Amino acid sequence: MKINIQQEDNYTNIGFDGAVDLSSSSDARKNIIEILEQNKNILIDLSLVNYIDSSGVASLVEGYQIAKKLSLKFGLVGISDAAMGVLKLARLDQVFPIYNSKEEYEKDCA
Amino acid sequence: MEENKKNIAIEVKDLVTHYGPRKILDGINLTVKEGEIMIIMGGSGSGKSTLLRYLLGLGIPTSGSIKLLGEDITNLSTNEMFELRKNMGVAFQGGALLSSMTIGENVQLPLREHTNLDEKTMDIMARMKLEVVNLGGFEKLMPSELSGGMIKRAAVARAIVMDPKLMFFDEPSAGLDPVVSAELDELILRLRDVMNMTIVVVTHELDSAFKIADRITVLDRGHILMSDTVEEIKNSDNERIQSLLNRTPSNEVINADEYLSRLTGM
Amino acid sequence: MPEYIAHRFLNVVEKIGISTVKFIEAVGYYFALLIESVAWIIAGSFYKQPVRIPSIFSQMMTIGIAACPIVFILSFSIGVMLAIQMIYNLKTFGAESQVVVGVALSVTREFAPLITGILIAGRTGSALAAKLGTMQVNQEIDALRVMGINPIRYLVSPALLAMLIMVPALTFFSDIAGLLGGALYTGIEIGLSFSAYIDRTMAALMVGDVMQGLFKSLVFALIITLVGASSGFSVTGGAEGVGKATTRSVVLSISFIVIADMIFTYFLNR
Repeated sequence: MKINIQQEDNYTNIGFDGAVDLSSSSDARKNIIEILEQNKNILIDLSLVNYIDSSGVASLVEGYQIAKKLSLKFGLVGISDAAMGVLKLARLDQVFPIYNSKEEYEKDCA
Repeated sequence: MEENKKNIAIEVKDLVTHYGPRKILDGINLTVKEGEIMIIMGGSGSGKSTLLRYLLGLGIPTSGSIKLLGEDITNLSTNEMFELRKNMGVAFQGGALLSSMTIGENVQLPLREHTNLDEKTMDIMARMKLEVVNLGGFEKLMPSELSGGMIKRAAVARAIVMDPKLMFFDEPSAGLDPVVSAELDELILRLRDVMNMTIVVVTHELDSAFKIADRITVLDRGHILMSDTVEEIKNSDNERIQSLLNRTPSNEVINADEYLSRLTGM
Repeated sequence: MPEYIAHRFLNVVEKIGISTVKFIEAVGYYFALLIESVAWIIAGSFYKQPVRIPSIFSQMMTIGIAACPIVFILSFSIGVMLAIQMIYNLKTFGAESQVVVGVALSVTREFAPLITGILIAGRTGSALAAKLGTMQVNQEIDALRVMGINPIRYLVSPALLAMLIMVPALTFFSDIAGLLGGALYTGIEIGLSFSAYIDRTMAALMVGDVMQGLFKSLVFALIITLVGASSGFSVTGGAEGVGKATTRSVVLSISFIVIADMIFTYFLNR
């Protein structure tokens, strides 16, 4: 799994590339929490993720909870069908703020 | 995705097993495709539970091979088997939760033993899986404080906590009321649809079998009678299968000599 | 009916043969179990399956700390009993004052390890057999195996380590309790002061005496764990099977302990 972090005007865009699974999810988690702890809004881009397992989703859940506590904007974008399945299984699709595009999130952020 | 479905997840070839001197399974051949739900059916003593034990790598067969995800478990090293087991989930008939641990600790156990994930991540994962089986908020309870149906569901949560590719259910609806049993069927279908798991269910409940099966394998006295789609099984004219489907006791013609010698033991 | 008698005789021979084979099988199983548990303790980390320290400590608590009161009571009683018997016996030779040496040697070399061993066999060995047996019946052992958790590594190795630490520790504790019992009775009966009793005990006892007892207790710890674990793992047939296995583990381990004690005492005192 590769991680691409991009600073935008009023948020940080973090994209994962590859598989977010048992071996890589702690890395993903660490980066998400780091961004939030710098008090920055976060958009997580999952469009290049070919596989995400429960540990990956658990990291997203934790991130979202922290963002809420710090009143930061948290968003997911580019969710593949496979990833959506994992979210749906735990009914998390109704919990996460899911955006269709980066622009939609930016509008929400502003 | 369509391409993947053609992959074979489980392949059993010429499996023969004994219990002591008694032959239990005789020449079993079985394949299960990836993402398929295979039901193994049969009366008591048919060998279906034994077949499951061997599929789980809990016994050493007399002869034959069992391939799970392409690897022959009859001659894997301890380490290879250990790695393979991370991709297998099993929901035992009685749940088989460790009674000394809470539900949450039980569900987390595979994670704790196999991964170095953060404590928080493991917590969330376990709770997520408990939500999947509708047991959210029960993680602090001990297994003894739960009903049979809840224990079974908690066992499913533990089995899927590592997101396995293969999932085995042993008599999922045994001892459950119809509503809970239907919920479990629903869950099995969802796991396959969402996670593309390959699922093997051993059961003798016809309704549930017909509802969830892609294919059904009927075992009888250690042999496979038939392994086919639900329709084909229903339309089969095999006497034993029909008696199993219609729940009629088998009325075989009695061999007088043999019967007499069985009774007298001489 | 000579044929009939011959048949009976053959039957007996066959039964002896079968039980001999079974016994050898059982001993073989104990050794296999021992080797595997030790292997996990040593090499578990290499296979990413280490023996967990916390589970060792929790076992040590239940084996050791919780057993202290009963070990104390029994050992103290044994100490008193030994003093009574020895004073009575030594009176005939007018050598009552030698009771101190007698109690000291008997307690440290023999009674402390033996009574601790028997107690732990009844308390912990049976509990281990019952726990593993119940787990076997409830398919918990199978569940561990399919989760890729080796049951021996997860259940037996921590128990073995905890026993190897706690049984000698309890034996030492039992030494002290036994000597205390001896001191108390001797003080009352022949008016020997406590400090004088301790002084004489220290003079009479050699390190080797205590070590002999502790060494035996290590062997007992092995016996109790292996017999308890194998009885538990071999359970078949539900709750009744668990009961049988529990009883079996207690009877077998106490028998093995007494026999092993005799053998070791013989060799250690040559």
